[in-house]
Amino acid sequence: MSTAENSQTFERLVRPHFDRLYRLAWRLTGSKAAAEDLFQELLLKAFGKLDDLVKLDEPGSWLCRVMYNLFIDEQRRFQRRRMHTVEEGQLPGEGLAGLPGPGSPDYDNERLEKIRRLDAALAKLSDEHRIVVLLHDSEGYKISEIQALTGVPGGTVKSRLSRARARLRDILTADGTVS
Amino acid sequence: MQNTDMTQQDQEIRDLLKDYPMPEADAGFYDQALARATHEGSRRQRNRWLATGFGAALAAGLALWMIGATFLTSPELPDVDTAIPGITMALEEPRTVNLVFSSATRLDAAMLTVSLPAGVELAGFPGQSEISWETSLKEGKNVLPLTLIALTPAGGELLAHLEHDKRDRTFRLQLNIS
Repeated sequence: MSTAENSQTFERLVRPHFDRLYRLAWRLTGSKAAAEDLFQELLLKAFGKLDDLVKLDEPGSWLCRVMYNLFIDEQRRFQRRRMHTVEEGQLPGEGLAGLPGPGSPDYDNERLEKIRRLDAALAKLSDEHRIVVLLHDSEGYKISEIQALTGVPGGTVKSRLSRARARLRDILTADGTVS
Repeated sequence: MQNTDMTQQDQEIRDLLKDYPMPEADAGFYDQALARATHEGSRRQRNRWLATGFGAALAAGLALWMIGATFLTSPELPDVDTAIPGITMALEEPRTVNLVFSSATRLDAAMLTVSLPAGVELAGFPGQSEISWETSLKEGKNVLPLTLIALTPAGGELLAHLEHDKRDRTFRLQLNIS
């Protein structure tokens, strides 16, 4: 195929999955800049695998797995450079920037405060627990879909989900967000 | 009674999680990402002999630029990668790079100096090629987002110089402009 044909084929295969992939990137990374870079990195990787991509029945699932693996690889590179001791509570919570503010008809002070506290509580979870609970409870992924995405056994996914929920419950009960 | 309370709490947390927001992509982001991927991908295919070096830069293009800062508590200096991490920026398009400093201990009154190559500016600091400020680092991960704008296609190295208590370390980030 020519370069133009390759580009057109690639776009036809990947564009239908952009929203899903962007959401996944956000849930994995928790920040806009990192999500955009992960998304970009995925497209670069996928374009290089165009010959494989055209043969797939479900390119969306494949793209999600590649994105997840890119994210994990980056985490491992981070650890290899001995930058350990990642402190809890570091997620920037940029997603909250889009919430309605005072003066907006959608403004609900009490609800927004609870979501801000949820954001802070999520930031205290490990990556493994935060990702599972966000994919399952916020994005509606099934356990089997998380298993396929992460390569982690279903029982482990369930265990992580259970622990993540319990940790959130402890944090949000202690600070009075839920009662 | 306890079980009922826990169930109500769980349900309320599930409801909050369903409402947990996530912004949509910026208008045009998908098109730009697609164009960069196909342009860069095609270039890689044409120039396979360059692929290894360029691939390293793009891999580092995950703009979470992570910096080892164990140096202040360890007698050993952090591992230094022989390959300088890099990102690719579009000309005249703001690009946020998150510098991530991971420190093994809390550092008060550290001096951070960011030096920019010619033709690259830090948003909010027009015309300044070097910006310094005193900062404190917490134990663990510290994220510093810098929004960069490339005004010329030259690119070059961004240097981040961190100094604390007579010890210092300089980190490099290659900026490629497309």
